[in-house]
Amino acid sequence: MLIEDILIFLSQLDAMKILTYFWPFFLLDMTRYLFLDFIVILTYIPKRYLHRHKYNNARKRLYKERPLVSILVPGKNEGKHIPALAHSLSQQSYKNFELIIVDDGSDDQTSTICRALEKKGLIDLFIRNDVRGGKASAANTALNFSKGKYIVHIDADSHMAADSIETILLPFYLDENVGAVGGDVRVANSEENFATRLQAIEYMKSLSTGRTVASELGILRIIAGAHGAFRRDILSRIHGWDVGPGLDGDITLKIRKLGFRVIHEPMAVCYTHVPNTFRKLAKQRFRWDRSIVRFRLRKHKDILLPSRNFSIGNFIASAENIFFNIILDIKWWLYITQLIIFSPEVMLIIFIINYVLYLIANIIQFLIASALLHRTFLRKDYVLFLFIPLIPIYTGLYLRLVRTYAYLMEIFHGASYRDKWNPWKVSKIAEKERL
Amino acid sequence: MKQPCLITTSRIGDNNINLSTIHPDAIDNIDSSRTSFWLVDMSNPRTGWDTVCKLRSNPYPAIYLRPIVYLMGIDTIPDEIYHAANGHIKGETLSQKTLDSWASRLEPVNLWIEKLEQPDTSKDTNIAFRMLRLTACDDKEIIPTTTTRINSGFVYPLLEPLFSKEDTSVFDTLNFLLEQKLVSNHFVSKSHFCGHCESAFLNFKETCVQCNSEDIQSDEIIHHFKCAYTGKLADFRNRDELTCPKCERTLQHIGVDYDKPSVIFSCNNCTHTFQEPEIQATCFSCGRTSSPENLTHRTIYSYTISAIGKNAAIYGLDSLFTRIMESKLRLTALPVFKEFFAIEASRIQRYQISTSSLTLIHMINMSSIYIRMGHNAKELFEELSVIFRTTLRTCDIITALNESTFFVIMPETAPVHAERAVERLNERITELLGSNLNFTPKITSEIFQIDASIELDKTLEEFQKNHVD
Repeated sequence: MLIEDILIFLSQLDAMKILTYFWPFFLLDMTRYLFLDFIVILTYIPKRYLHRHKYNNARKRLYKERPLVSILVPGKNEGKHIPALAHSLSQQSYKNFELIIVDDGSDDQTSTICRALEKKGLIDLFIRNDVRGGKASAANTALNFSKGKYIVHIDADSHMAADSIETILLPFYLDENVGAVGGDVRVANSEENFATRLQAIEYMKSLSTGRTVASELGILRIIAGAHGAFRRDILSRIHGWDVGPGLDGDITLKIRKLGFRVIHEPMAVCYTHVPNTFRKLAKQRFRWDRSIVRFRLRKHKDILLPSRNFSIGNFIASAENIFFNIILDIKWWLYITQLIIFSPEVMLIIFIINYVLYLIANIIQFLIASALLHRTFLRKDYVLFLFIPLIPIYTGLYLRLVRTYAYLMEIFHGASYRDKWNPWKVSKIAEKERL
Repeated sequence: MKQPCLITTSRIGDNNINLSTIHPDAIDNIDSSRTSFWLVDMSNPRTGWDTVCKLRSNPYPAIYLRPIVYLMGIDTIPDEIYHAANGHIKGETLSQKTLDSWASRLEPVNLWIEKLEQPDTSKDTNIAFRMLRLTACDDKEIIPTTTTRINSGFVYPLLEPLFSKEDTSVFDTLNFLLEQKLVSNHFVSKSHFCGHCESAFLNFKETCVQCNSEDIQSDEIIHHFKCAYTGKLADFRNRDELTCPKCERTLQHIGVDYDKPSVIFSCNNCTHTFQEPEIQATCFSCGRTSSPENLTHRTIYSYTISAIGKNAAIYGLDSLFTRIMESKLRLTALPVFKEFFAIEASRIQRYQISTSSLTLIHMINMSSIYIRMGHNAKELFEELSVIFRTTLRTCDIITALNESTFFVIMPETAPVHAERAVERLNERITELLGSNLNFTPKITSEIFQIDASIELDKTLEEFQKNHVD
């Protein structure tokens, strides 16, 4: 009966009606996230193959110079993850690195675990801050005592593929104007449950493919804190990270403002642990989404305004982010309102067709990601294909609700300034100074 | 009537004072039963201290337990010497009245000595027993004092003169008395000692974890809340104020706009940075450097004598070998032994048909075993007494000078057979101590054929002189 109604509805559609009923998909999402991704990745894969000699030469130059790389790991109560991280680093193909771990006022066994690893020589420097100062201060502490030419920032609950450090450094040897390189973040605990599997698919689409595309288009606006490499001289110029949350996006924009290129390297793989419940995930995304408002609309609004340092690349990077994330978040509420007012009798049919459209889009995006990342894919990653039917609900409903709530709370209440992610004394000053 | 006895190398004379005066070398010859206390001349502290050591190391209770009062000169004396005496009198205040006052104050000690069996003639040779008696006679707490004079850094002034060597014997012996529940202890302090030479004089220092250099410096870390900049305090110094190198703001109040989350060390030798320096201790005495976990950690206690200890100090230690031997082997008292010897010697002379032997045995280092074994020493000595019982015959007459020295009359035994018996004794004791304690005892002996020409006292004295002392 319903299928019959859908078929009748589809048979009556013309171009105008398609646009009227499905404009969010055809005008915006399909264009931006499907066609653009498809075209860019379609050019990126052969380009990468054709440039393989350049990559090999860059690798040779890297090994000839053998610069010291400082791996910074700030964190609180992350002791349980550190042995696995230290072990994965000891397996790295590139060996000339120092591992610096900063314990930001942990109240568990982190200090004991790390001191033991330091004694074994698996950690080069462990700094214990008795007083918690927040992630930015912990990262800056590590930066201050690091000696490397390149700085790699990773999260404590991450571990790296064996060639990860080597691969993330290559863009610096391909183009001397590269200031920072983002590594590809994959989900380490993807097999744990539904929540982690859905995030694994999302990471593949948005982080791996999305950031490769943004990087190719020159509009990459975030280097993930979980895995990012920076030139030391640039970090020294900007004196490291500013108060978070959202410090990774903030520092990326600061590097862009200095005129350096920011690159995503999809082959430099890092595995991180993602929230394993939808409640924890909502909390994490609430924090992430608020930082778009705080940093794009407030702190770095100068990028959008004409000035002496105006850059079209930076403008697009920021404007695209604001448009597709903040402005277009409103589109869904407009779209739903439109359907309720003008087409309530076919709403269910439109929702089902939308679901199918987005399902097809997700399947194509998964295939694009597979084509891009197949070299680094694990068997468990292919199994994720079976969970794609849930993605339209996960991104279209769950994440959208969290995002809308986060935007509203940040725009009207400045909720990020009261986030427990930072110590209260730091948040108090950040709010007072509107940082 | 008892009177004080002044021991001095110089002549101090005052006809108005009832005081006998002797030279330190004459201590052994004095009739100590008539002495109320020893007044030791401390005008030369070194000589005075030697005198104290001489008094306290004398084997006769009437001498070594007798109270000591210092007659002070103008020189000050170190605490550990000062507290070794029962009191002191300033030279200028020396008068009959003062001496009488001290004599009456110290009378309880003398009364205690009088309770002992033959304090003038029976010797106390066991160091633990001597220590116990010295503690009991004055019933005072044995309190340690710190000193720079000896390596161990702590001394028990009262007990110090009992020990000729500067080692850990005093601690070991006190520990033994504690295990025997003869004394009880009270916490005073804890201390580290060099693991090689037991010296308490250690230079603790922070060193680089990488190159062990002592040339390291510490820096406080400052975190500026506003811009999250974190760096060394020196990076923020700007004349009289602290300015953030990142945002150039002047820091106002710690805890309000900045804090100091930690301290970091850097090595001036190898440039290594670290937060927990290696702690090393260098011994001032032997110069060796060790990490704290390789040092000897010891708790320093003060000691008071227990009720059992008080009883044992008067009547002897039941667990001492001689006491065990007495019950297991029916040891004969020395005067009775001498009687038996005289009878045997005259019997042989009278009938001229028998050959008997006098065997003198000394086991070296038994007191150290005694200290090492603590309360288990009793069991060991019981086993030793079994060896004595099975090796010697019931007709043999045995006496013991102390837990290490035995005299045996072996009737109807030629010296050559007596020698065999001593060999068997030696073998069995060596087997017992060697297999159980990894300790090889050394047994020395002398065997004499008994006849009327032997002067027993002289023979025993010679033996003690050659083997025991």
